[in-house]
Amino acid sequence: MPMKFQFTITPTVGGETAEGAAEEEVPVYDLVIIGGGPAGLTAAIYAGRARLKTLVLAGPLPGGQPANTDIVENFPGFPEGISGSELTQRFRSQAERFGAQVVLDAVTEVDFSARPFTIRTYGATYRAQAVIIATGAVPRRLGVPGEAEFFGRGVSACATCDGFFYQDKKVVVVGGGDSAIAEGLFLTRFAREVIVVHRRDRLRAAPLHQERAFANPKMHFVWDSVVEEILGEQTVTGVRVRNVKTGETSVIEADGVFVYVGMEPKTEIFAGQVELNEAGYIVTDKHQRTSTPGVFAAGDVQDPDYRQVVIAAGSGAVAAIEAERFLAEETRPTQTQPPV
Amino acid sequence: MPLLDKETTEQVKRELADLAGPVRLVMFSQTFECDYCAETRQLVEEVAELSDQLTAEIYNFVTDKEKAEELGVDKIPAIAVIGAEDYGVRFYGIPSGYEFTSLLYAIRTVAAGKTELSEETLKTLAGVTEPVHMQVFVTPTCPYCPMAVVLAHQMAIASPMVRADMVEAMEFPHLAIKYQVMGVPRTVINETVHLEGAAPEPMVLEKLQEALAGEQI
Repeated sequence: MPMKFQFTITPTVGGETAEGAAEEEVPVYDLVIIGGGPAGLTAAIYAGRARLKTLVLAGPLPGGQPANTDIVENFPGFPEGISGSELTQRFRSQAERFGAQVVLDAVTEVDFSARPFTIRTYGATYRAQAVIIATGAVPRRLGVPGEAEFFGRGVSACATCDGFFYQDKKVVVVGGGDSAIAEGLFLTRFAREVIVVHRRDRLRAAPLHQERAFANPKMHFVWDSVVEEILGEQTVTGVRVRNVKTGETSVIEADGVFVYVGMEPKTEIFAGQVELNEAGYIVTDKHQRTSTPGVFAAGDVQDPDYRQVVIAAGSGAVAAIEAERFLAEETRPTQTQPPV
Repeated sequence: MPLLDKETTEQVKRELADLAGPVRLVMFSQTFECDYCAETRQLVEEVAELSDQLTAEIYNFVTDKEKAEELGVDKIPAIAVIGAEDYGVRFYGIPSGYEFTSLLYAIRTVAAGKTELSEETLKTLAGVTEPVHMQVFVTPTCPYCPMAVVLAHQMAIASPMVRADMVEAMEFPHLAIKYQVMGVPRTVINETVHLEGAAPEPMVLEKLQEALAGEQI
């Protein structure tokens, strides 16, 4: 198999801490960015250039969602497309070039009730005058019988990771959005047949993805259907689907199931610290401000609508600019009110 | 043509700037019937150039059979990362893509001879008296995989009874089939117990104990 070798250096894996963080006297950062995807790293580029003392806590999956995307074709400036891992690596290099510090530690708890804000991770406690939350979103699970049992051995949410194991096999992709179709197309490189099971009668994916999917002889579609169970004994043998219009159930034989049924924001640790909406997304205004002054949010953690790399990056830039303004306002000498 | 571009080379130099001690990258290769042996050898040689503390040793898997047996190397391309002692840290298949991070991390940790594992884990590992073999199956395009590899390697460094391999599934498809690898990372412990995903430290430790308990019965 011809292969182009890439060598990706992600931030140090496993509980390592930023320099000095384990000491008693914790350095207070101007800005701590929680999350190392497109939003967080773009915010870091802007914050670094604004000469803010900036720390990025990149979390367990450095690079965010694009890190497991085969190819990103809609980020401006890369007319040939760019691999998701390379793009996020470039974001990181650019952030570091301007002085932001990136570590892979994951945040376990935050306290935004007093400033400087406190951010606790597995390895250390950090303090910051301002915070940008850019923790992104994680794939939603189907929540059907068999899914948890077979996760990692027949059920996957990462086609770039696991596609290889489905050479000449038949796989089911659940979902009808951009991720489902793009990853389904990626899987056709390995699998002999890719069955897309979608709960509606048309795809939500971008028209270009749809054109490619309909033109691909390996792609087939089961419309108006939801997966009710993942079947198998030792390995996955298929899925049971129910047609939502007729109520009829049937079994589709398959060796693997890839689930792309949307995302859930990663906001559990922020509940009670900033306002969340009913779906769990962080509520922000157009300046990326959250309900807590000095805390900003960017990227998919506050965006249920678009979920694009370019938009996450854009909101990250806004958040950093606003964080800088917020900090600058504070250090400005206070003007004494003239007596009335 | 070098495998590592200029930018990556600079980054590696920074990552390896303050190695705590000397590290040998002992690589086993062969000219024929090995997909990525040539590239793995080149990678080892290029990386070794980037720190005074690093040396590359290249052996032939066939003609240096004794050396291979001494280090327990049973397939190629193989890299044994050896510091003050041989902790049992191995890479089978080329550590490219995300796994390059695992290689750098292994070099740094082996150089230091100490890990970042929790007190709890170290205490449990100190009580291990039976051999433990951890095989972590990966693909180079899996961003979660280095977490599992790094954890297994750290356990190998922490305990003289534990050895840990990264196994690149695409280069060893027969092993992927043998161990029913359908997703990565997948960690196989002592042939008997397996674990899916980049599991947290306590969960891996529990599986390790489970593998040991299973053997005593």
